This record gives sequence, C-alpha cells and structure tokens, in this order.
Amino acid sequence: MSDTSSNSTDERIKEISSFRQALIRPELGGIVGTIAVFAFFLLFAFDSGMFNSQGVMNWSIVSAQFMIIAVGACLLMIAGEFDLSVGSMIGFAGMIIAILGVTLGYPMWLAIIITFALCVAIGALNGFIVIRTGLPSFIVTLAFLFILRGFTIFLPQTIERKTIIGGIREAAEGDPLASVFGGKIFGNVFNWMGDAGIIATFQRGTRAGDPVVDGIPMLIVWAILLVIFGHVLLTKTKFGNWIFASGGDPEAARNSGVPVNKVKMLMFMFTAFCACVFATCQVMEFGSAGADRGLLKEFEAIIAVVIGGALLTGGYGSVLGAALGALIFGVVQQGLFFAGVESSLFRVFLGVILLAAVILNTYIRRMITGER
Amino acid sequence: MNTRSTHAPIIQMQNIEKHFGAVIALAGVSIDVYPGECHCLLGDNGAGKSTFIKTMSGVHTPTKGEIIFDGQPMNFNDPRDAMEAGIATVHQHLAMIPLMSVSRNFFMGNEPVKKIAGLSFFDKDLADRVTMEEMRKMGINLRGPDQAVGTLSGGERQTVAISRAVYFGAKVLILDEPTSALGVRQTSNVLATIDKVRKQGVAVVFITHNVRHALAVGDRFTVLNRGQTLGTAQRGQITPEELQDMMAGGQELATLEGSLGGTV
Amino acid sequence: MKKVMKSLALGAALLTAPFAANAGGHGDDLSYVLVSHAPDSDSWWNTIKNGIALAGDQMGVSVEYRNPPTGDLADMARIIEQAAASGPNGIITTLSDYDVLKGPIMDAVASGIDVIIMNSGTPEQAREVGALMYVGQPEYDAGYAAGLRASGDGVGSFLCVNHYISSPSSTERCQGFADGLGVELGNQMIDSGQDPAEIKNRVLAYLSANPDTDAVLTLGPTSADPTLLALDENGMAGDIYFGTFDLGAEIVKGIKAGVISWGIDQQPFLQAYLPVVVLANYHRYGVLPGNNINSGPGFVTASGLEKVEAFAGEFR
Repeated sequence: MSDTSSNSTDERIKEISSFRQALIRPELGGIVGTIAVFAFFLLFAFDSGMFNSQGVMNWSIVSAQFMIIAVGACLLMIAGEFDLSVGSMIGFAGMIIAILGVTLGYPMWLAIIITFALCVAIGALNGFIVIRTGLPSFIVTLAFLFILRGFTIFLPQTIERKTIIGGIREAAEGDPLASVFGGKIFGNVFNWMGDAGIIATFQRGTRAGDPVVDGIPMLIVWAILLVIFGHVLLTKTKFGNWIFASGGDPEAARNSGVPVNKVKMLMFMFTAFCACVFATCQVMEFGSAGADRGLLKEFEAIIAVVIGGALLTGGYGSVLGAALGALIFGVVQQGLFFAGVESSLFRVFLGVILLAAVILNTYIRRMITGER
Repeated sequence: MNTRSTHAPIIQMQNIEKHFGAVIALAGVSIDVYPGECHCLLGDNGAGKSTFIKTMSGVHTPTKGEIIFDGQPMNFNDPRDAMEAGIATVHQHLAMIPLMSVSRNFFMGNEPVKKIAGLSFFDKDLADRVTMEEMRKMGINLRGPDQAVGTLSGGERQTVAISRAVYFGAKVLILDEPTSALGVRQTSNVLATIDKVRKQGVAVVFITHNVRHALAVGDRFTVLNRGQTLGTAQRGQITPEELQDMMAGGQELATLEGSLGGTV
Repeated sequence: MKKVMKSLALGAALLTAPFAANAGGHGDDLSYVLVSHAPDSDSWWNTIKNGIALAGDQMGVSVEYRNPPTGDLADMARIIEQAAASGPNGIITTLSDYDVLKGPIMDAVASGIDVIIMNSGTPEQAREVGALMYVGQPEYDAGYAAGLRASGDGVGSFLCVNHYISSPSSTERCQGFADGLGVELGNQMIDSGQDPAEIKNRVLAYLSANPDTDAVLTLGPTSADPTLLALDENGMAGDIYFGTFDLGAEIVKGIKAGVISWGIDQQPFLQAYLPVVVLANYHRYGVLPGNNINSGPGFVTASGLEKVEAFAGEFR
C-alpha cells in the first residue's frame, strides 16, 4: 500500500521533451494551418495583388469579420453551447439600427445603444430558454435563426416597403459612437506612406493622390480587442475556468460550485454582443442595412472556431486558435479569388480545409487530454 | 489508529428517516463519525446508501431524525450549506473534467485570484504550485500542472478529487464507491489515499459494497439493509464473512455461498 | 508527434490537389472580372457564365466570374474590393444595392480600373459611381411595362412570387407591375424562399386562399418552375393569367403550351457578352459606344419561340 507514495513515475508514460510539450497546445492546428495557408498563397498568388496594401487590407477585413463572431462562438462552444442565430442576429441588429436611426430619426448613438441592449437581451433569452428547458441549444437557436430573419424582412417591408434601408452613413455623420464602429484610425500614417511611395495611391478621380488604403478600419480594431479580451477571459480569469468547466462536464462543475447556468447565459449574451458589433461595423461602413445580411454567418463562425481547435461538444478550445481559424478562413476565401481558382470550387476548398483541420485537431487534442 | 475515544464525533446522524411518497428509503438510521476515522458504510444495491449520504451531504432533508454536526444540530437546505460546513462528497463519477488540466480541476469553483491593476485574474502560478505539491503529498507525480485529467488513471482521478476536498477544508469526506470501477492496483492507491487523509484528522465516510476494500482501511463498519442499520462493528470484532452475511440480510447468502464454494 | 506530421502531410496534399486542375486559362494581356450578386443556387446566372466564356474566347481575353456564395451583398462588396486589388483591366458588376456597393466600385474606378454596370442598378447610379456604361434592363420600368400589358389584357389582381425578397430589384419588379396595373401591391407579393417544394406549396396556399386572383407573376425560373407545377396541380394552368420575368427551359415549354402568356426577356446573354466586347475594344482600340445599352425588356410569346427554345438556359 505504501509503494505508491514513492517517487516512481509510471514507466508506461513516455517522457515528452519540453519543446514538444510547448508545441502541443490547442492552438497548434491553427498555427500550422496559418503557416501552411500563407506559404501556399505566397507561392501561388504572390504577384496577383493579394499582398499589396489593398489586397492585404481586403483579406484582413474579411478575416476580422470572422474573428469578431468567432470569439463569441468560441467561448460559447467551450461553455458547451451553440448559437445558430448569429447570422440572423447580424441582419436583425443592422436593420434595427437602420430603423431607429434612419426611419425614426433617433440620434445614431442612441440607436446603437438600444440595438446593443436589444441584441444582448435576445442573447439572454436564448440562454434562458436553453437553461430552463434543457433543450439542445442547437434547436433553440435554430428557432431564433428563423424568428430574427423573419423580423429582419418583415419590419422594413412593413415600415418602408423595401428590404434594404439606406442613408445610415448620412444619418451617422459626425456621431461619436458611430465612428467607434465605422471609422478608421492611423489615417495619417497611411497618408504618409502614400506620399512616401510605400503604398499605392489612386491615379484618377476625386481622390487622386490619396493612398489606396487610408487607415485601419475600426472593424479590425474591434476584432483585435475582442480576441484579446476573449483570450484573457478564458485563460487568465476565474470565469474562464468556469467556462471550461461548464462545457467539459456541467454536472461535475455544479458539484464543485461553478454557477454553470450563469456562465452559459453570459456566453449567449456575449455571442449576441459580438454579432451586434459585427452588424454595427457593417452598417456604418456600407451605409445600409439589408434583409440578406449575415446569411450563413453562424456556420462560418463555427467553422472558424473548429479550424481553431475547439471541440464541438464543449470544454476544450482556444480563443487564439479561433482567431487563427478566422484568419485562415478569410485568407483562403479571398485568396482563392486572387489565385484565380474557379469560384464554384470555393466550397470544395472550404470543405477540404475544414476536414483537414478537424482531423489534425483531433490528434492534437487526444495527445493533450489522453482521450481514446 | 482508533482515535474516537479522545474526540467527540464530528457528525452524528440520529434516527434518520427519509420517505419518498409511499416509499420508505430510510427507516431510522443512526451512525456517528469521529475525526480521523474511516467509517465504512456497507450495503447492497438498493440498501439506502445513496439516500443516506445524500441526506448527510444536504441534497435531501430528512423526513425525521436529527443531524448533529460539530455538536450543533444542523439543517442543510442544499449541498452548498453542507459544503461550506465542511462536508465534501467525492462521487464515483462526475468528479473530474477529463479535458481540463489537473490544476484547473483542482481549483474548479474555488479559483485563487490575484489583483492586477484593479482587475481579478486567476492566480495560475499559485494554483499550479499548490496542485503539484498536494499531488506529490498523495504520491502522484504529474508531468506538470497542465497535464489533463484525462491522462490520469481512474484511481489517480479519485485521488485528485479526494485531495482537492481535503485541501479545501473538508472535515467530513464522503466517498461514494470510489473503488467500484477500479482495478486492483488503482484500488490500492485509492485506499492508501484514504489512509493518508484519515491520518490528517479528516473523518472519512467510505461507501462501498466490497467487504475486502472496507476491511482494508476501515476503523468501524456500519451495514445498511433495506433502509435500516444492522449495527456498527469495530475493526477486529467482525469477520469478512459476517459482514457479507449482514449485507445480504442473513440466510440467503449463506446458502448461495455454499453452492459457490465460499468465494463470494 | 508522428501522427501530427502525418496529418499535416495529408492536409497539404488535400490543399494542393484542386489547384493542379486549375492551371492554364490565363496568359492573355487583358483580364476582366464579372461580379454578380446571385447566390450559388441561382441557375439563371448560368447564361451569364456562358456569355462571358464565349465573349472571352472570341475576344481573346480572360474573364472570371465571382459571386457571394450566399447572396450576401456585404460579401459582394468585399469581392469587388478583392477584384480591384487583384488589378484586372476591367470589372463588370451588378449594382443591386447602391449604398453597399458604391464605395468599393468608386475605389476601383479611382485606382484606374474601368467598370461597367450590368443587370441590376439604374443608368443614373452607374453614372454616379463613375462606370463607363450600364448594360441591362431597368427593373421597375420592366415591371411597369409588364403591368401595362397585363392591364390591357384585363388583369385586376395578381400574385407576385418573389423568390429573392432580400434583393430590392426583385421587389421593384413587383412594385412596377402593381403600378402598371394601377393597383396597390399590398399583400399580393409573397416571400417564397428558394426551395422548389416550398415555392410550390406557398403558391398553392395563396391561390386557394385567394381564388379570385387574376394573374401570377414570377420573377425567374427559380419561382416560375415550381409555380408551373403548382398550377398543374390545382388545375389553374392555362386558366389563370401567367407572366414571368426571365426565361428558362421550363418557362419556354410553358409559353409553348399556352400556360404562360409571356416571358420578359432581359437577354442576360447580352448583359454578359456585350460588356466584355465593349471593354476589350475600348482597351485595344479606344472605341466606346456613346450610350447605355438596354438589353431588355423584350416580351417573348408563343410566336417566335424557335431560337429561344433551342438555346434556353444556355444563351437565352
């Protein structure tokens, strides 16, 4: 009975070098994928414009869009739940901003605040129903996918007799909160780079002489901030531990005193918040809200999260991984165009990458967690 | 090893009855547990063991009877009350989350925090250090605090759960069939852990239906049958055969045992 | 670790395989990109793809087709930005939402790329974004013309089967038709979705709830084909006045059988073919037509169906 207290390690567990141990982490799949994808496009699409300033901005924005919704989806998935209403929420949030800010003429900052409150409340409702009924979140949020999309088509048609409401840019002119979502930063730096010939400038028209990229859109800033927030929350706080625990085994977590329901509820709300950030940035940039915005974005978010190494059933994953997944997704989506691949093959690629990522991630996860 | 003469019992369960509608799950069960002893609660499936420990850990309130904890009558309204008073339960399953690291599991629900710039952060350094130390005390050498619980054996997981409960101040540790799904070697690891915990002065309530496991580590033995106690015996006052017979309710097993050649 | 390496190799192999099939097709000095707003599922755009392929062949230029897979116009804006960044000689694009698309298109124009607007949008909007010209059929006007025609045929109420309700131009077609008839649109437009079975059942449901409906208007093969089936099923085929936008194999059959009174042909082939020809000649010889080109509306009726029938779904 006393032999176990001696310092013998189990001889069946192989020694693992510290280098390898550092390598084997949830983000590994995402890191490897990112390197592979960039290597690939540098090879096949280097001189296609993909890596000039306009091209870089193009895939960065698309990746940032994915990142914003992937952070929410990632934390929610780790907490053991799904939200399929993200895409519809994007369309819905944009439409509410347009109706409040344009049709009803509210000041834009108020329209944005009300919309955020409404979206987060809908997120909470999602969570409440899932927790109270014990139904799979898949079903509950699928219902909201239809409900929100339905309202997004119905409301503008009833009020304005069309499915797209424009004029948001004009209504948001000079609004301080609107520029937090639709503005650009570091404009001076880019102007200077344009003048110095580091990046290309427009050659004709009213903007001749301006640099082709005139700042970092707030969309990208939001993406970076949300990724940092999500990563710190997940790995460096008490609450992050609760997120893992709630998704890993809700019963065990409850037995240990983790407020599982509260955690899940907050994650549903955070996911809705992320969708709302996405929507607000989008309507501020494009100046209109449409009934078709955000179609299928929920799946794109989930794909990014899964490429980033999260486990679909919860309890395991990484926000950094999800961010890399979003980057891979965005770079591939735009890069295939640059590389001149027939556009109908886009989905084939997406499927292949998803499959490869999941296989790779499964191996990595098994190594870490000892699943069999 | 028997320290009960020098202490008052930490918890006394007196004439506990629990009725679920027309079903009488417990019909007046009394036991007491002393600090530093391992009190084995034996019984066959359906004997009322689960109901009894759930009553003790605050999941059920007794229909009749009294719980005296540390000299005070106690009415636990939910498991958290019991947990805060120092009664911890380690369940057969649901103890650990395999996907999470040992240190995250160890501090699950009790995460240490440190303040940085006014914000609370999970104090991972402290958590890792404590986990490694506590695990070493229990004879488990981790590769590192980040090692996932999924890579541990079943016995090691029980040990982590037990040492976690003790670290967080459990005075009474209820172990619900910790050895029932384990192999021989892992069982002996868990029994060794129980022994260590007992020596630290924790009262251990060890639920099992395996007489040999109970005798290996128990100080006293209480047998439950059909919601009633058949008495409590001291170590050395009872043979395995007697315990076995009591669990089965007497005669039936004797005849069965005869036909199986005394191997049960 | 061996397993990791193996999975990596597998991933790399899968990634590179489809590219092998894609080599070639480039190498010409002129390259154009056509960006549409249509989701992958919309078969009508096949004619567009055939049109640019033929024009590309004949002119000796390369033309690529791009579209947002789900039909999300915000994604379409990114595709235009991307197309501009890849530095083609010209971009041919639809302008289905002026607010969303004007920014990216104006940026493309400003960075020295010639743009032609096709299909959706208006000649005015095309001029405002700085495009060379507009090739297409103004949707509201086409709907209005159809409404006038139907009104002349004694129609007073109708059902508009809108399979692409989120696109404003689809709604404009219904609105124009209503205005041509001189009636309120009101509830006469239904959101049918894109699924054939759903479209069919919604049409059946609407017609059984509103049996007095004089006419059915569909907006393209996506809604016309299931509507034909629906009318077959409830026995209204040939009895109810049936007009449709756009052509397709089933629509042509319907016109021939007398079930469909007319199809409004916006002649998508021209919308794809002409911009490529115009751009290539502009870039090679500096010649440019002085006006916008109206590719439609043209009403296709039972008389003179021969050519349409032969090339329906391919070039018509």
